[in-house]
Amino acid sequence: MTAPAATPVPTRRTDPVQVAMLLAGRNLVGMRRLPATFVPALIMPVFFVISFSGQYDGITRIPGFETDNILSWYTPMATLMGASFGGLGTAFSTARDLETGFFDRLLLSPAPRLALVAGSIVAGVFRAVLTFVIVLGVGLVGGAEVPGGLLGIGSLLLAVIGVSATATMWGLGLVYRIKTMNAGPLVQVGIFLALFLSTAQAPLEVIVGWLHTVASVNPTSQVLDLARQGFLGEVAWSTTWPGLLAIAGFLAVTGLFALRGMRRLTP
Amino acid sequence: MSAAAQAAALSRRSVVGILRQPAVVFPSLFFPLFFTALNSSAFSRATNLPQFPAADSFLDFLLPATILQGVIFGATTAGVEMATDVQNGFFDRLVASPVARTSIIVGRLAGAAVLGAIQALVFVLVLMPFGASVKGGPAGVLVLVVVAMLLGTGIGGFGVAMGLRTGSAEAVQGSFPLLFVLMFTSSAFFPRQLMSGWYQDVATVNPISWMVEALRAIVLEDFSFADAARAVAVAAGLGVITVSLSLRMLRNRLRQAS
Repeated sequence: MTAPAATPVPTRRTDPVQVAMLLAGRNLVGMRRLPATFVPALIMPVFFVISFSGQYDGITRIPGFETDNILSWYTPMATLMGASFGGLGTAFSTARDLETGFFDRLLLSPAPRLALVAGSIVAGVFRAVLTFVIVLGVGLVGGAEVPGGLLGIGSLLLAVIGVSATATMWGLGLVYRIKTMNAGPLVQVGIFLALFLSTAQAPLEVIVGWLHTVASVNPTSQVLDLARQGFLGEVAWSTTWPGLLAIAGFLAVTGLFALRGMRRLTP
Repeated sequence: MSAAAQAAALSRRSVVGILRQPAVVFPSLFFPLFFTALNSSAFSRATNLPQFPAADSFLDFLLPATILQGVIFGATTAGVEMATDVQNGFFDRLVASPVARTSIIVGRLAGAAVLGAIQALVFVLVLMPFGASVKGGPAGVLVLVVVAMLLGTGIGGFGVAMGLRTGSAEAVQGSFPLLFVLMFTSSAFFPRQLMSGWYQDVATVNPISWMVEALRAIVLEDFSFADAARAVAVAAGLGVITVSLSLRMLRNRLRQAS
């Protein structure tokens, strides 16, 4: 008796967008099933809004400070911090997939490599937007003002999306290379340095010494200006374009870093 | 072997264990120094505000907070190590031996206390070339070191209690934000006089504020026995509470094991 001839399985082109969305969906399901991986990333920025605003209320009295409302100053910063945590969380999920071997199976599938990266970015952005809504809500309830109106909120949202995508790709780049959760501290240190060595705490006019020099050349300061402008006054193109340019630069550099890391992983 | 000798042996194990792990010691020294450098540059001009305490620099003002931050970072290790001992079975082997039960706790806390003392000294020595000074002189530095040791014991005691209660290193690390909240709702990083509303009220009743403000007076003004006693009393009080809690958790775990 001869075995029946194998029927060729009809193949169809894998849709990268569909793959990216499915992977993002899987990541978000994981977030719902394992709240412990997401809740701290949500609580921390809320805590920072409350504690920084309460703790440093007096700094608005320093001559040169751009607002007398401390919540208007710290809410955008904490929102961006939450956005970066969203990216971190997604990178950590990928590290878990690498440790458990799930990612190896993804690499053996015909899924486009770019879609694997894009899926994580979409999930990171979704997490960041969720954090944005909650942190912004806490800030507004606490008394933050947005004289820039909807345009101001829109500028902040743009910055949030840019920062979360940047943080995700930075995290992925490291996770693809280190392949374990041990990448965590390095990912966090990179983000903390980029965020805090800027005008995160105080305006450039108020900062003195070495930090003034570093913050004035750190592109994160421009992203913070973009995020904050609607909370400090009207939205202006002169503040918007440097922020967008800085985000584009961050995305280009971290995108290249993540893609090269992915190439190293590919068998 | 006497109980004291057992405690000394376990203390040595704990101290050597911590000092041999640069991954534990380095972040607990680096991050507080980094944030101090950052804040002293960002908020330096705040020292000119009318209600700000008389200080030569923001660095001087932040010195006690730097120590507090470092001790919180470092002393959590005692709890993580305790939980690891439970997880890997070393705790069970200790309990099966005729070792005095309290020496298990003493041993773990000794590591946190020694690390606290080292941190306080390192922070003072590293910040001095950048302009920090302790107006209270050598006696003031001694108070900073003693308070750091007591605080290390107090925070370590909390971590050890958590480690014994949960037997999970992750759970102990997860409790770290609680200490963070205690620190951030105090006047550790900014004067209470410049806070407002409910946050100022919380900082006023937070014992960490009482301790930091007493240490700050020693750093910014001069040595006084009243300030030294206040700082020591708060740190020791925290130690008494958390060590009692860890002893209670030890009893509970032993009861479960028997």
